Amino acid sequence: MEAVYELLKAVSKEHFMENMVSIPLIQPVIDNLLNIPLVGYVVALILWKPMFALLIFPGLLTLMTVLLFIIWFERKLTARIQWRRGPLEILRWAGGIIQALADGLRYFFQEVIVHRDAHKPYFIQLPILIFIPVLLPLLFIPAGSIVGIKTPYALPVVVAIVSLIPVFIVAIGWASNSRFAYVGTIREAFMYFAYEIPFILSVVAMILVYGTADMTAIVEKQTIPGIILNPVAALVFFISTIMATSRLPFEIPEADQEIAFGPFVEYSGIMFGLVMTIAYEKMYILALLMSVLFLGGGNGFPIPLLGDLAPVIWMFLKTMAVMVALAFLRSIYARFRLDQALRLSWTTMLKISAVAVLIGAALNIAQVA
Amino acid sequence: MSDNIEFLNSGPLAPFKKWGTKWSLWPVHLVTACCGVELAHAYASGYDGERLGSLNYGISRQTNLIIVEGAISRKMARVLRITYEQMPDPKFVIVMGACGLKGGIFWNGYHMVRPSDVVPVDLFIPGCPPTPESLLRAIRSLQEKIMSGEAKNTIEFREFDLSSVEGRSCPALPPTTPKVIAPTPAIKVDVEREVEWSFGKKLVKRFEKELEGLYDSIKITGKNRIAISTDRKRVVKIAQILSAEFDHVKNVNVIDVPHERSFIVEYHISSYSVRELMPVVVNIFAKIPRDDPKFPSLMTYWQSADYLEREMYDFFGVVFEGNPAMGEKFLLAPDTPDFPLRKDRKIRDECYCMEVKE
Repeated sequence: MEAVYELLKAVSKEHFMENMVSIPLIQPVIDNLLNIPLVGYVVALILWKPMFALLIFPGLLTLMTVLLFIIWFERKLTARIQWRRGPLEILRWAGGIIQALADGLRYFFQEVIVHRDAHKPYFIQLPILIFIPVLLPLLFIPAGSIVGIKTPYALPVVVAIVSLIPVFIVAIGWASNSRFAYVGTIREAFMYFAYEIPFILSVVAMILVYGTADMTAIVEKQTIPGIILNPVAALVFFISTIMATSRLPFEIPEADQEIAFGPFVEYSGIMFGLVMTIAYEKMYILALLMSVLFLGGGNGFPIPLLGDLAPVIWMFLKTMAVMVALAFLRSIYARFRLDQALRLSWTTMLKISAVAVLIGAALNIAQVA
Repeated sequence: MSDNIEFLNSGPLAPFKKWGTKWSLWPVHLVTACCGVELAHAYASGYDGERLGSLNYGISRQTNLIIVEGAISRKMARVLRITYEQMPDPKFVIVMGACGLKGGIFWNGYHMVRPSDVVPVDLFIPGCPPTPESLLRAIRSLQEKIMSGEAKNTIEFREFDLSSVEGRSCPALPPTTPKVIAPTPAIKVDVEREVEWSFGKKLVKRFEKELEGLYDSIKITGKNRIAISTDRKRVVKIAQILSAEFDHVKNVNVIDVPHERSFIVEYHISSYSVRELMPVVVNIFAKIPRDDPKFPSLMTYWQSADYLEREMYDFFGVVFEGNPAMGEKFLLAPDTPDFPLRKDRKIRDECYCMEVKE
């Protein structure tokens, strides 16, 4: 009886209303909605901070918007750099901003081919299963006071879950059972070991600087942004992000000119639509992480009218800035060979990340942050 | 299964499918000829095909449009078909240029196929090459076709009963003769020419001494060029003597002379090892009858003649006796007609059907 009572209390409207996102600008509207019987419950549920983090920011809604935007933006930016217009005719007055939506719809309605040599169960499952490591980290990343799961181990958990993604990609390549997929998988595995160590070392350096791994505490401690405290770690983190999301100049596992999208070569239709977005989703998570660690997360000028939404907006802008910088690289760089990238990360990057850890330790002793 | 596809094509989701397909026509790279340059131009900064939402992509699995850029040979037909089969439905084909329509400058070539025989084609773009504007116009019309629902998943051609059509409407004409007609329409391989080449004259003297009784004539046909006329019985002996100094065959030729009922077989030999002979090319040629096209293979003396002889067998059916690979196709596609370069090869009749609307 006791347990049922507890459970009922946990899903009650009052419990949601204790921990709600407050937006002074539209507070009267929300109050009115809350009084309507069923709608009030739904509104309270959505505005409950953990659910808000899951559904709106940094969760699904923002993720979808960012995906649609960044793919369009990448094509448009590449086009402008090559003196072209890019996608335009689909929606002329808005510069063709819904191009990615059309591509997605086309993929959605296209035939999905499962070829004879594929390991059928894994081939079909893995593009869906990969969303577990891709979406889980979003729960731990805070925007102001809005956070899905608040824990002192948020940062190690996020890094650990993000590190799982390449394992799934290797599994996808194995299930595809094609020679291009095989080559791409091997490259992915090589790159994984190459960028993972500098990536973790740069995160460790920032944990040393702030003396905590709780992301909310990290954001609160950043009166000076982390990029100024430890620029070396920021550099290593940024380059590791490029490698981890296989952007140019490190687009080695997917190199479409030579190995035809590597692990994803055999996917068609909506399955390809799913696996193609993995890199962008990973990019979104790492950009969020970068804005938390180095750019001060939700810190910014408080906007009284927006209340809890102000940190969300600041963090969104910072994340978008990082993502735009990442998208910009695509159109201006050529690709490294695999051996060049490996040499770079196992020598230079490793040395720089060691320096970053030393700086972090020094700042930890000096108690700067 | 077909019910589901029918539902997607005409159900409540059909407008979304059509709209998405319309604005996301991604052509796969299948550059077979020079029209690829025009395609590149159409997608580069001048015309920017990406405005229409069309993006060139490297791989067939993730695309839905093939732009056949020019001539499709028998060997590329296989590639085209495989690429088409690899693409997921709905998929479309645009054929670009005159070569894809009727063969273009390769018209009547033994190695040509029409793309419309290999894959179902949605649109043809005429021109040699078509301009980028016309390519973009084709993409536009394909978009309109998709929106109007004409472009189905798999296109079926209308079948016509051709049994009642007798041959062709006009006789097949061979290409007209050139305007300037040579006084003797014979094909001469060794037209003698006066040149200042003292070493050559010495060489001819030496050949005449060495090849006593093996040749019909030895002539200088130009600077550094000597032609030795012989027949197929004595050519092996000549090869044996000359291969001491001349170490390789540059070229093996067969000339079809149907009005004399003969082939002319030429071996162009030269030397890499003797310094003075390096620029010299000696042409050993012999006439063989057309109904008994046999020639001794000179592979034993010149290894480099091997592939050339096989190629000549492919084209003319001249059997080089002694070459172990005679009787099989070497470089041509397996379904090429036999001996395509013989001048009496039949040209494929073309039938045109006109649909009369009543």
